[in-house]
Amino acid sequence: MESSKENNSPREDSSEELPSLIRAITAHEVAGFDSLKDRDDSKGRLQSTGFHPLSASVFGIEAAETEDQSGLSKSQRMHSVSISMPPSPIEAHIQNTKRVLFRDTETILGNSVPNSAASYTNFGAQTKQARFYSQPMPKGSVLNEAISSEKSANLPPRNPRIEKLRDNRYDSFKTWSGKLERQISNLRGKRQPEQGSHAQQPAQMESVPVDRYFDALEGPELDTLRASEEILLPDDKQWPFLLRFPVSSFGICLGVSSQAIMWKTLASSESTKFLHVSPDINLVLWFISVALVVIVAAVYALKVIFYFEAVRREYYHPIRVNFFFAPWIALLFLALGIPPSFSNTLHASLWYILMTPIFFLELKIYGQWMSGGQRRLSKVANPSNHLSIVGNFVGALLGASMGLKEGPVFFFAVGLAHYTVLFVTLYQRLPTNETLPKELHPVFFLFVAAPSVASMAWARIQGTFDYGSRIAYFIALFLYFSLAVRVNFFRGFRFSLAWWAYTFPMTGAAIATIRYSSVVTNLVTKILTVILCLVSTLTVTALLVTTIIHAFILRDLFPNDISIAISDRSDRRPKTTRRWYHRRSGSSESNVEHYLKFSNSDGKDIEASVCPPSCNNQELSASSAK
Amino acid sequence: MEIQTSLPKHSPPPPIEQTVVSKLVAERTKHLVPLILTRIHAGYFRITLSLGWQALLWKILLQPTQDSKIAIRAPKVFYSTILTIIWSFSLVILILLSLLYSLKCIFRFSMIKAEFMHHVGVNYLFAPWISWLLILESAPFVTPKHVSFVILWWIFAIPVIILDVKIYGQWFTKGKRFLTAVANPASQLSVVGNLVGARAAAKMEWREVSVFLFSLGMVHYLVLFVTLYQRLSGGDRLPAMLRPVFFLFFAAPSVASLAWYSISGSFDTPSKMLFFLSLFLFASLICRPALFRKAMRRFNIAWWAYSYPITLLALASARYEQEVQGGVSRAIRLLLSGLSVLVLLGLLLLTAFNPKLLLPDNDPILLTTALCFQLSFSHRTPMLTMWSNEGPFPKRIKRVGQKGKS
Repeated sequence: MESSKENNSPREDSSEELPSLIRAITAHEVAGFDSLKDRDDSKGRLQSTGFHPLSASVFGIEAAETEDQSGLSKSQRMHSVSISMPPSPIEAHIQNTKRVLFRDTETILGNSVPNSAASYTNFGAQTKQARFYSQPMPKGSVLNEAISSEKSANLPPRNPRIEKLRDNRYDSFKTWSGKLERQISNLRGKRQPEQGSHAQQPAQMESVPVDRYFDALEGPELDTLRASEEILLPDDKQWPFLLRFPVSSFGICLGVSSQAIMWKTLASSESTKFLHVSPDINLVLWFISVALVVIVAAVYALKVIFYFEAVRREYYHPIRVNFFFAPWIALLFLALGIPPSFSNTLHASLWYILMTPIFFLELKIYGQWMSGGQRRLSKVANPSNHLSIVGNFVGALLGASMGLKEGPVFFFAVGLAHYTVLFVTLYQRLPTNETLPKELHPVFFLFVAAPSVASMAWARIQGTFDYGSRIAYFIALFLYFSLAVRVNFFRGFRFSLAWWAYTFPMTGAAIATIRYSSVVTNLVTKILTVILCLVSTLTVTALLVTTIIHAFILRDLFPNDISIAISDRSDRRPKTTRRWYHRRSGSSESNVEHYLKFSNSDGKDIEASVCPPSCNNQELSASSAK
Repeated sequence: MEIQTSLPKHSPPPPIEQTVVSKLVAERTKHLVPLILTRIHAGYFRITLSLGWQALLWKILLQPTQDSKIAIRAPKVFYSTILTIIWSFSLVILILLSLLYSLKCIFRFSMIKAEFMHHVGVNYLFAPWISWLLILESAPFVTPKHVSFVILWWIFAIPVIILDVKIYGQWFTKGKRFLTAVANPASQLSVVGNLVGARAAAKMEWREVSVFLFSLGMVHYLVLFVTLYQRLSGGDRLPAMLRPVFFLFFAAPSVASLAWYSISGSFDTPSKMLFFLSLFLFASLICRPALFRKAMRRFNIAWWAYSYPITLLALASARYEQEVQGGVSRAIRLLLSGLSVLVLLGLLLLTAFNPKLLLPDNDPILLTTALCFQLSFSHRTPMLTMWSNEGPFPKRIKRVGQKGKS
């Protein structure tokens, strides 16, 4: 052992590929290896090369294999590469937890098997470049985590290699998990260890249960991390732009394209002839909103392609999921606000194409509400759920404007039923509602959206602005005023792009007022029309100015998107516990307590993992002694 | 998605009971009638609900009236024979079930009381009356204007209203049975009862009565719909075995759409909206087969709850097609009526080939009611001793105990 160490050390010094840290560790902690018996070590090697069965119940077989393979492994261990660099903190995390399992139940972790198996298959090829660092695999990951989170004080200065390690942290959010990059570098002749390839795959990150979001995040938009929580990505550094680009950016499209509709209605309505609004404003706004939709959609499509895991996590986020309706609603708005000079009639198939994704999203979201489970309505109700309702009414409005009959009624009916449910639930402010903002927040303006759009849609369906439309319109107006009197709305909250989505209800109310004033034309309705249109335009302008300030002066328009990076805490899940119970055979009650202690707090877990490798190996020796 | 059953399916019964049980098992003899009497409950009227609505569907699809655009053109002899066969079959079954159930009312009244206290079982007390109303409506020879129709309507509608008063009163007044505590998909059956009554009243052209029943039903439907969607209590209100009852989610809007059609005289926008809501909920439930996986393991009487909501939806789609001619509406109607017939046939076959499973020993509704019954008869009246000595449920309780241990 010692001799091999000494043999290797000169090469280590000369090699520029070796992270200085590992060098430091190996140098510092050689003492730990001295105490090892040869056989224990061989067992350790075996375990890290993944030779032996997964189940603890076949411990005897395992031991037998150890006997069989010890000679082989002795001969091979000089050549094998056993160090494993975690590509990401997630993997490190998984390995951490699994390592605890492993320690208690005296079996190898399931997770490490493919990795080390991969490294084993490369034995032949790698003999030349192989180095023996003599580090058990979980140890390596733990060290790297310690490095990257900079928790250890007595570390040697970093070298560029470690910087590269840090970049790998984003890999778990990438669609291809960096496979492509590795292939490219392989082509260049620079062979990299392949250990990480399996653990990086998105399958490793199972869907995060909704409770995790509630536990880890706070704030009205559920986008602030609680103090006790940790995230998977570095929080002291800006992430790649795509990771910071939230789906709520589609709110901008909503805000601007609804303005286009408003100016179109102002220009074309009979009751607002006295304002002499030029239709060109609509034309300009419409083109701007088309450009915005294209840009935002293109960027988000890139995110879907490159960081699909991040998109998935946004989809599981109980509030963000509602913003997945925003792109389709924005497209509906574009169709509604199309300038008259451009085109007067749209083909009916367009409506069906636009409504299909909305329909399927609704099946998913409303189904989750109805069938219970973790995402039932009494738990996830939030004003932003209105976004999932409004789509129905906007679709009904567009369809009825295009002259369709049955389809709009369908969406209106579905929307009305679920709007009733949502409205009552939000008004009740149930104690089980974990996401309902405690104080006022711009998100409450979404309350205005559904009834104002519904009044217009119903008027289109019925052909006249009848009592049904008026009831919906007056409800919207009342909600608007009850919110408007609470003026100190925009104070004390962190600006976010999602605010754009909260402007379109104002615009919607303004448009509904124009429609109403063309039925009931008098001074009051005209004044109301002008005021509401002014307010909505001013709000959008103010928001535009704020956005520009944040984008170009403060440069924090896209802050790190904390809500997608919360940790899984998979060790808390009952599944793991069950698995652990299967493996438990033979371990004592104190081990149980030990396990629980470690699984309960991450902090302890990390601390435990910083202990010298002798810890690990001693446990191994204990296990093989049994 | 894991939803625990709230019923004491796996908990061993208290020790007092076990002594009683063992004594009863010792002196037990097997008789079919007491077995049926103990096992039967109002949930069995799901069968007649399915048959009754099927008869109504065929009546509407087959009967050639002058304005009907959806009727299948068939010779008169042909359609009246089919209709009479379906109708008389459902009548026979209904009479049989009603007889058995009224016998149970006489001899096992405390079990009926326990059923009434059960939050799922109580809703099925509407089912017999709804079934009778359906048989009345689908009868091939009696017209709604006939005196017998009116009299029978009163006989069957009044119990529904009495039950309404009782249950809705429980919901909004004091006590343990407020809505959030007892709401479960089966509660929609009370709404269905009102709406069926409203529909039959509209057929008799008693507009005011039908509007009264319709508004009564719809207001409580609104409350119920919101409460059910919120799912305050999680999923534990309904035992997994009774999951098919989820289909009632789209049965209620369909029957509301039919009732409004009968009241307003045409399939107008409110009817269409209710029908579309029903269609959407149907699609939404069909998309989640995982919800029903637990209930599908073994055939039980709750499966009949699949049948009649689909038939109802098919009925509403037939009315919709009558209003909106076209390929899509025709396809929807054909698909749904075909599905409803298939489901009904499948259930009939399953029931015919599994007569043993028809009286299961682990029926969720019965389980709790039987326990109540057992406890309330530790000191028995002579007449009831005779029945309960021979009743099979001691065996059942013993089985439950064994299950709990294993």
